[in-house]
Amino acid sequence: MKNVLKSFVFLLILFILVELISYALVPYHNLKYSLYEISKYEILTEEKDTVDSIFVGDSLIYSAFSPMEVWNNYGFTTFACANSAQLLEDAYNYLEIANDTQHPKVMFLETNVIFRNPKNKVWYYDYKNIMSSLYIINYHNNWKKFMFNFLNNDTKFSKVNVYKGFKYIDKTQSAKYRDYMKYSEKITEIPKGNLDIFDKIVKYCNQNNIKLVLVSTPNMKSWSYSKHARILNLKDEYGLDFIDLNIDNPLGIDWKTETRDKGNHLNYYGAVKVSNFIGDYLKTNNLVKDHRNDKKYESWNESYEIYSKSVIK
Amino acid sequence: MEKLIQILEELNPEVDYNTCEDLVDGRHLDSLTILSLISEIEDEFDVVIPTTEIIPANFNSAKKIWELITRLEEEI
Amino acid sequence: MSYFGLFPLFVFLPLVIIIYNILPKKVRPIVLLIASYIFFYIISNKLIVFVILSSLSIYIAGLIMREIDKDRDKLLEKVQEKEEKKLIKSKYKKRKKVILILTILFNVSFLFFFKYLNFFTLTFNDILKFLNIDYSFKVIKHLAPIGISFYTLEAISYLVDSYNEKIVPSNNIIKVLLYLSFFPTIMEGPITRFNEIDSSICSGEKVTYHNLCFGYQRIFYGLFKKYVIADRLNIFVKLIFSSYLNYSGVTVLFGAIFYTILLYMEFSGTMDVVIGASEIFNVKLPENFKAPFFSKNISEFWSRWHITLGTWFKDYIFYPVSLSKCVKKVAGLFKKLFNSHVSSLVMGFVALFAVWSLNGLWHGAGWTFILFGYYHFILIFLGNIFEPFISKICLKLKINRNNRIYKSLRIIKTTFLVFIGELIFRAPTVNVATGMIKRIFTNFTFNNFGSEMLSLKLDIKDYAIVIISLIVVFVISVLKEKGKNVRESISKKNIVIRWSLYYLLILSIIVFGAYGVGYQPVEPIYADF
Repeated sequence: MKNVLKSFVFLLILFILVELISYALVPYHNLKYSLYEISKYEILTEEKDTVDSIFVGDSLIYSAFSPMEVWNNYGFTTFACANSAQLLEDAYNYLEIANDTQHPKVMFLETNVIFRNPKNKVWYYDYKNIMSSLYIINYHNNWKKFMFNFLNNDTKFSKVNVYKGFKYIDKTQSAKYRDYMKYSEKITEIPKGNLDIFDKIVKYCNQNNIKLVLVSTPNMKSWSYSKHARILNLKDEYGLDFIDLNIDNPLGIDWKTETRDKGNHLNYYGAVKVSNFIGDYLKTNNLVKDHRNDKKYESWNESYEIYSKSVIK
Repeated sequence: MEKLIQILEELNPEVDYNTCEDLVDGRHLDSLTILSLISEIEDEFDVVIPTTEIIPANFNSAKKIWELITRLEEEI
Repeated sequence: MSYFGLFPLFVFLPLVIIIYNILPKKVRPIVLLIASYIFFYIISNKLIVFVILSSLSIYIAGLIMREIDKDRDKLLEKVQEKEEKKLIKSKYKKRKKVILILTILFNVSFLFFFKYLNFFTLTFNDILKFLNIDYSFKVIKHLAPIGISFYTLEAISYLVDSYNEKIVPSNNIIKVLLYLSFFPTIMEGPITRFNEIDSSICSGEKVTYHNLCFGYQRIFYGLFKKYVIADRLNIFVKLIFSSYLNYSGVTVLFGAIFYTILLYMEFSGTMDVVIGASEIFNVKLPENFKAPFFSKNISEFWSRWHITLGTWFKDYIFYPVSLSKCVKKVAGLFKKLFNSHVSSLVMGFVALFAVWSLNGLWHGAGWTFILFGYYHFILIFLGNIFEPFISKICLKLKINRNNRIYKSLRIIKTTFLVFIGELIFRAPTVNVATGMIKRIFTNFTFNNFGSEMLSLKLDIKDYAIVIISLIVVFVISVLKEKGKNVRESISKKNIVIRWSLYYLLILSIIVFGAYGVGYQPVEPIYADF
């Protein structure tokens, strides 16, 4: 019994120490939010009013959208506001949080989220999210910002979040191509309740001067023509922009080499294409500014340096 | 026994074989030297040392080697 | 998958420990066996069939040999005459030999099929092409069961030891199955002998608090070596070995040095994890490393590095070959012609050649590995030829070979030779290996040294961490080499110091570990052999 107690105390102290160290390592700008919230809403790691556009969505987004690519090629500051199996309500919450610290001018919304039924919420996702507050140790490389500074003074930038919401997973599993966007008369229904939330999102964007763009990123497994058709209706109803990257494969996604799990999620190479497309869209419509030569954004350059080390072989 | 120590000294003169008790574990005899040692012993004492007997415990001191030889002589 | 993940160490292992502890003593070995099979199934899927086949084959062969021994002993009791006894012995030995050879062939054929068939067909096709014969054999590609090189050697040692009556083959099937597939050792060894672990592996002793703590401490030490040092050096090594022409000789040499460090940290770190995990279940495994970089010559190095592989080759290849009848005959001839020194060199030559050919091949079916084997063969053999001359010269020059400077010089020389050896081992092709070695010797300039070292994706703070961590590992090695039990002495300190040390170790893995953004972890190197 004594030993059980002892182990418990040991683990408790360990947990506290890890939490304390996390506070030291995570880019931290606002004490209003807890570590748990930061790990859930990663955009909180960015300095106030630096991110100009956000891409809200589920795992499709953290696989398909890499803000660092946009930064390097276009100089726009973007962020992937993604959680796995995100519900439309979560998307709305994320939007609110993002707008609290940033004032994005553009919001892209991955349309797959609109079809996710809140009833099908998997019970363990909440626990998974709690576990992900330990995931905060992924910022552990920020020790370089405040240790051994006599060797080379690296403190001119603050601690950084390198991936900006993107998850780099080095994996490729080919998919067999099938015509998943075959024309059909059918229309997939949007789950009840989601329409109200969608309405809320549109209103929130209008109030805060955020341009809302609906995007469907390349995805063979869960996207279909009938979903496309439904979103077309929705778009007309609200007068929004809708870009479907699945129709006629405009990005030329190679499903043999550019997906990490047989057509469900894109891998890094697919993400580069999607990110460049988004950058191009922002540029042609003249929606945001190029910050590459702005001193205030130098930490983005530094992030890119670390980023390029880890993704390019 | 004297003969044995003579053989050992020819192979590696840097060791005091009357006292040393870690010939193998202390790396005074490496595997090639053990080979020469075995062939010398086999010629000198007319015994055959089977591979199963070549374990550090049997070769760690001159005394142990001598015990092995006498044991093998008896077995024949 | 490797042993280092969160799942095996912090989900799978704790679960096994809990189930193991709550069930009664008698069932516990079965728990370990089932856990081992589940683990193997996770890493190798259906290929688990081959481990089970191997285990069953040695179990049955062992029992048959035991029966033969029993029959023989019965007969021997009745007979008095020496000559007749000899006759009976040799007759029964022959019967056992048939069983032995058949079972070894059965086991080795799997190994050959999975690991070498591919390589040999490719080589054979090359020969055919060279001879202008327009035919090529089909190359069959398949995945090998992980750890096959390790458990096949264990199977052979079980068979040979049974044959030589060094061990009594067990009739406890759980024990034999568990011996081959015990989950901590299945992937990367250490290569154990049946009599080393047979009593502890099936004892079913309860997991004690003490064992649990000690085991996990060792596991964390292994994690430290892997995450903080090995993984950090990986990118550097990868870059050098894939494009060595872009770098000067010194930097290439550092590639070889870092690779050697990486290999040592990865492999010995795995061993810490493996030995620690076994310790929890009261199974004491043999050590696989004993401060290899304190070796004074290559043959000593191999008695300190991957020890269980070295002793396996010594016991089952080196002595059997060198003391086999035909080698002895040849050696006898040389003895008549020259002297006993020459004859033992001949015996050694043949045996060492066999050992290092197999050692090279064991590491992998590829020319770099074969070259790696012969490189060590040549170094060890030359060492033996020159040894008498060197000792004579030293005597004449009155150099005390035990003095510190002489010893350190030998250690430095050996370590350098090891770096070159591991370079050959890591190089993708023999051409790259020779090219790199050439570059080290012909392009040895410090001109761009600093900028090159910093261009290889490690910054100065990474180097600082590597150096500090290596000092920690070095100090612990020195203490161990002096015969001190580091964990035991830490456990005697008071709780504040003790726990602070543990927290320091765990937190430094979390903070300084080279994982996540900007790093690429090392794949388990030995698991593929």
